Amino acid sequence: MVGNDIVDLAEAKMSSNWQRPRFLEKLFTPNEQQYIKNSNNPFLKVWQLWSMKEAAYKLYTQLNPSRFYSPKSFDCAVQNKNQKVFFKDFECYTQSKVTSNYIISEARLNLFEINSEVIRLNVRHHKSQSKETKSALLSSISRTHQVPFSELKLQKSELGIPTVSFNSEKIKVSISHHGQFGAYAFVHVALPAKGGVSL
Amino acid sequence: MNKEELIPKLKTIIAPYVQDEEAFKFLSEDTDFVKDLKINSANLVDIILDIEDEFDIRLENEDMENMLDVKSAMQIINTKLDN
Repeated sequence: MVGNDIVDLAEAKMSSNWQRPRFLEKLFTPNEQQYIKNSNNPFLKVWQLWSMKEAAYKLYTQLNPSRFYSPKSFDCAVQNKNQKVFFKDFECYTQSKVTSNYIISEARLNLFEINSEVIRLNVRHHKSQSKETKSALLSSISRTHQVPFSELKLQKSELGIPTVSFNSEKIKVSISHHGQFGAYAFVHVALPAKGGVSL
Repeated sequence: MNKEELIPKLKTIIAPYVQDEEAFKFLSEDTDFVKDLKINSANLVDIILDIEDEFDIRLENEDMENMLDVKSAMQIINTKLDN
């Protein structure tokens, strides 16, 4: 299972103000606020921690189908390159990649190397961006697993949790888009060859 | 505060963050901030802070948990105003 989240830094700068009163206190634990305060670039630290929380939330809700808004309860611990996020009795690993344009974070249950793909979106409207990201995800699964694009179906549960199915196989995925960027990740599985029988 | 007073106030607060204007036109109690209005989850906190300022209340982490739709937002605001 995988959760991911992308933050477009230009978009974050434009549509959020992390310095507004009570913003940090609402989203971050005292410990995280300290990370932000001690950082050379508090803006980047805010959005890195935010994307870690979101990625962890997406992983958590795949395991425990639910929907809620409680970013402060997802507690990030950053030590060197090792990042973990804790929520109640749940914990996961996260990895982030920071570029000058975006931050992408990915969460998994075990230690891993980040492999979310990031795309620059060609369209502006929210719905079309969502479509473009989903389509890129399906193309990538189709290439990786050598299965026809047309046989992959992306579904979202009532709670908004996405899964891709191929015949009776389910592929765990995560998608995110923000501003000009889309990102997707999926868990590689052994799929039966085309025409094969899956029991 | 009743629905007729509260919904217009909420509409003014959430308008700047809405990404689906069509859904916003038909806003009702059942409208979901994220699923229907496509509000970015990073902006939910702005809505919460704006609500705090507008109604002069403070929302705790437990209050924020359900703040995903118009109905829950109205309930939480009213509970706080009654206290």
